[in-house]
Amino acid sequence: MFSKIERLLFSLMVALVFAGVTLIIAQAKAQPAPVMQATPDNCGACHSDFMHSWQDGPHGQAFSDQVFQKTWADQGKPGACLVCHTTGYDPATGTWSQDGVACISCHNPIPANHPKDPMPVDKSTDLCGTCHSDTRFNWQDWKVSAHYQRNMTCVVCHDAHSAGLKNVDTKNTASSATTDDVSALCINCHQEYAMNFSYSAHHQQGLSCVDCHLLHIEKTTDGSTAHQIPDHSFTASLTTCNTCHENQMHGPTQPSVDTSAAETTTPAQSQSNPSMQFASVTPEPQPVSPLGFAGLAGLLGLAFGMVLSPWLERAYHIVIKKDKDKEEDEHE
Amino acid sequence: MKALRAKLPSLAFNWWLAWLVFLGLFLAGGLTAGILVFWKGLSLTNLTDLVPWGLWITIDLSSIALSAGAFSLCAGVYLIGLKRYEPVARTATFIGLTGYSMAMLSLLLDIGRPDRFWHAMVYWNKHSLLWEVTMCVCLYLTVLLFESMPIIANFEWLRKRFPKLTEKMSQVHHYAPYLAIAGLGLSCLHQSSLGAVYGVLKARPIWYKPGLSVLFMLSAIVGGIALTLFASMLASRLTPKARINDGLIERLSHFLGWLLMAYFYWRAWDTLAMTYTYQPGRTEGLHLLTSGPLAFNFWVGEMLLGIFLPMVLLLWQKTRLNPFWRMLALLMVAGGLVAYRWDTNLSGLLVVLSYMPGELGVGYTAYKPSLIEFVAGFGVISYGLLAFSLGVRYLRVVDHRFISKVHEPVEVQAVESVTA
Amino acid sequence: MSDNKISRRDFLKITAVGAAAVAGYSSIRPAIASGPTQAGPHQWVMVIDQSKCTGCEYCTMACRAHNDVPPDISWNEVFEVGELNGQKVFLPRPCMQCAEAPCVEVCPVAASYYRSDGIVMMDYDRCIGCRYCEVACPYGARSFNWKKFDGPNPAVPEWGQPEVARRPRGVPEKCAFCYQRIDRGLAAGLKPGIDPDATPACVVACPTGARIFGDINDPESNVSKLLKSTNTYRLREDLGTSPRVYYIAADPAKMKMEVSS
Repeated sequence: MFSKIERLLFSLMVALVFAGVTLIIAQAKAQPAPVMQATPDNCGACHSDFMHSWQDGPHGQAFSDQVFQKTWADQGKPGACLVCHTTGYDPATGTWSQDGVACISCHNPIPANHPKDPMPVDKSTDLCGTCHSDTRFNWQDWKVSAHYQRNMTCVVCHDAHSAGLKNVDTKNTASSATTDDVSALCINCHQEYAMNFSYSAHHQQGLSCVDCHLLHIEKTTDGSTAHQIPDHSFTASLTTCNTCHENQMHGPTQPSVDTSAAETTTPAQSQSNPSMQFASVTPEPQPVSPLGFAGLAGLLGLAFGMVLSPWLERAYHIVIKKDKDKEEDEHE
Repeated sequence: MKALRAKLPSLAFNWWLAWLVFLGLFLAGGLTAGILVFWKGLSLTNLTDLVPWGLWITIDLSSIALSAGAFSLCAGVYLIGLKRYEPVARTATFIGLTGYSMAMLSLLLDIGRPDRFWHAMVYWNKHSLLWEVTMCVCLYLTVLLFESMPIIANFEWLRKRFPKLTEKMSQVHHYAPYLAIAGLGLSCLHQSSLGAVYGVLKARPIWYKPGLSVLFMLSAIVGGIALTLFASMLASRLTPKARINDGLIERLSHFLGWLLMAYFYWRAWDTLAMTYTYQPGRTEGLHLLTSGPLAFNFWVGEMLLGIFLPMVLLLWQKTRLNPFWRMLALLMVAGGLVAYRWDTNLSGLLVVLSYMPGELGVGYTAYKPSLIEFVAGFGVISYGLLAFSLGVRYLRVVDHRFISKVHEPVEVQAVESVTA
Repeated sequence: MSDNKISRRDFLKITAVGAAAVAGYSSIRPAIASGPTQAGPHQWVMVIDQSKCTGCEYCTMACRAHNDVPPDISWNEVFEVGELNGQKVFLPRPCMQCAEAPCVEVCPVAASYYRSDGIVMMDYDRCIGCRYCEVACPYGARSFNWKKFDGPNPAVPEWGQPEVARRPRGVPEKCAFCYQRIDRGLAAGLKPGIDPDATPACVVACPTGARIFGDINDPESNVSKLLKSTNTYRLREDLGTSPRVYYIAADPAKMKMEVSS
């Protein structure tokens, strides 16, 4: 007959085996979570990040924005506005499927088995151009620019979801603070100009790229101000210079603002090896500290002294004895 | 109260207790540090992507190397037939067991995923030297466990409680030659492979040479035997529980002296050969070793105190026969081995070689272990010291009177035979 | 014969046990790292034109977003390597996906392995974090996760959204040529290198088109034609790693910034 303890242990073992087997079977049978079918309304259920950046920006608030609502109402709520300011506007019925510029405005058609199949998006300027077309947005300037001629599209600088500019501060891992100066984006690609510009008089007066290259705003053909955008030719024209230097046109070359001595030479660029661009890599090794040398010398001295001690002691005694003899001789 | 006092050893100032408390403090610190590292991660250390291996890897390498006395002495005793050194081989085996467990501990600390330490045994990459080292170390640890069974069987409490088991454990000694063969084979594999772990990396020119395996192997044998001899002598001076036959130690020290000469030749030539022609990465590493931050460690730690001075002390009869000088020499050899591992590791990692086109640029980085690395490292070392101390006290690990029934006692013709 | 010698019977017993142990051990077939795998139908290669690279690091940020890389780690580093006619020259460095990768050779658990299409993959679940691969990589392409990466990724969603799982603390990580995009694209019938959805994020994000990706096994592909027609170089070819990332050296003639309108 087993004792009580042994019985208990035995039953514990049996229990473990039962539990283990059940666990294995149960895990094998566990159903995977059901996959939602992607529809135009539930994009945000999975893509909450995009949803958040979209709904706070101009695309998300294209319909709900107060300025739009007032202007639209003042004009008698024309349907022509809703073509861009809503999604899926049907002029025949006057209805639309979603407020603002919703996901399917750009991401369509939705594949049947998304997320297995990627969501399509047309990244060309044509798609943006369906709303941001030249009658309202002076698109002709863009065609003149070097950016267009190098096949760059709107999304190179603009984030389609937040409908703002791309933020390049994420590449500076030290800080994730955003900057209000959109010139950071320009400087990101055009670094040489940034280097030279920093030492110029213009920069010393607090000017940056956008002040000359993007500030000039053309009037739109429909006369309204709501649809104005900065001149995307990125060329600084006479009008730009005249903004500050009006008085100097055809006059003496004295600028109307005081300039302190501005060096236009670029500083020496440290040609340190690029893969050494870590803070911890130095061109020279750590110097050996003087304490190290002192310690070494001390150790050597100690060893020296210990090894030579019998002879040193003998020498000491001889010297002392000599002195003693000398003294005795003298005393005599 | 009187009865209690009679049972316990003297509670007045007891050196043994003090030693235990001292070790216990470091152990507690090490344990705390280890838990912190497991919890918070390796960002607590000063390891970086440029220097991913630091103090703990050095401790790991040194522990394995200093345990090499086990396989070399056991090979000498059981395979070459130098049966008179069997008691020293016993000590070495136990030190080996301690050392390899220390290595495992420090590795557990160092890898990023300690919970996956067993992966190397299940997932194999036969091309990888580190895999080979891991497998050999695990297998050799098993061999050491078997070889240590007769030693553990000496534990009085165990003898009383499980007499039949201890009897069986003692009988493992019959298989000592086979275990010695296995140990020799496995050790030759992994001691040199540890050098090859560094030696196969073309990306680090100062490491990229086949001689690194040989140097690691040779330094391991030298340092391992030295540590065994030093530990035996020290133990015999500190406690009557440890008794040595000084003649055996003296003979082995003499042999060690000659080995040191071979090692000195090899290491000096290895370093000197690197001074010929400029090779990016290698020359800078050598510069670090000879006149940079590693210079003190190299010239004093490795060469002067680690090889040259002990070589002189152990080959010159006058100093070899003097226990103080002999012990000092043996300790310095063990220290020199640790210095060599530290130097090898850092001379490669502190030099940052560019991969950009054109002439290879070289930069330097720096590494100093953080407090947590020191505390955890000391914890591992104090674990080793504790294990050895307990072995001396309870398992008669250092006892040259203890000769197994298998071997007949042999009188060693030494100039001076002292039983401490 | 003294009684300490082992009898013939014992010797045979021991040898038999030993042989059985060896046979038994080798019959266990744990997962073993394969050597160079059978080459598949595709062999992906990336070409980077330094004349076009402006150092804007859009590639780094797109990579960071699409692969959920922590902000203090860069799978794709962009280095400034010099100057030509007053214009800076840059060199972006993804993982070279070496055909003879030191990292694959040295990993003790074979967590780094070759895929049949040439991509050097990382099994983050198998990795024990020993950092041998990091020590072995000549290109510094691997970064170790010293810390746990918690919280939102600052590059998301502006530069993209994560397509792979975030790596835990204690394992190194590296660029994998966005294999997830390639695989998904191929399954959907798209062409990696041509269709953006099947192409690595860095290649898609580059505003100047400095990065080209394609299949070198296809003689008609963009990269094959480019490699045949242009002089290219690879980093540290002397090491024998056979990288799959080719560079077209900066040509001052091609680097003119001004455009005649």
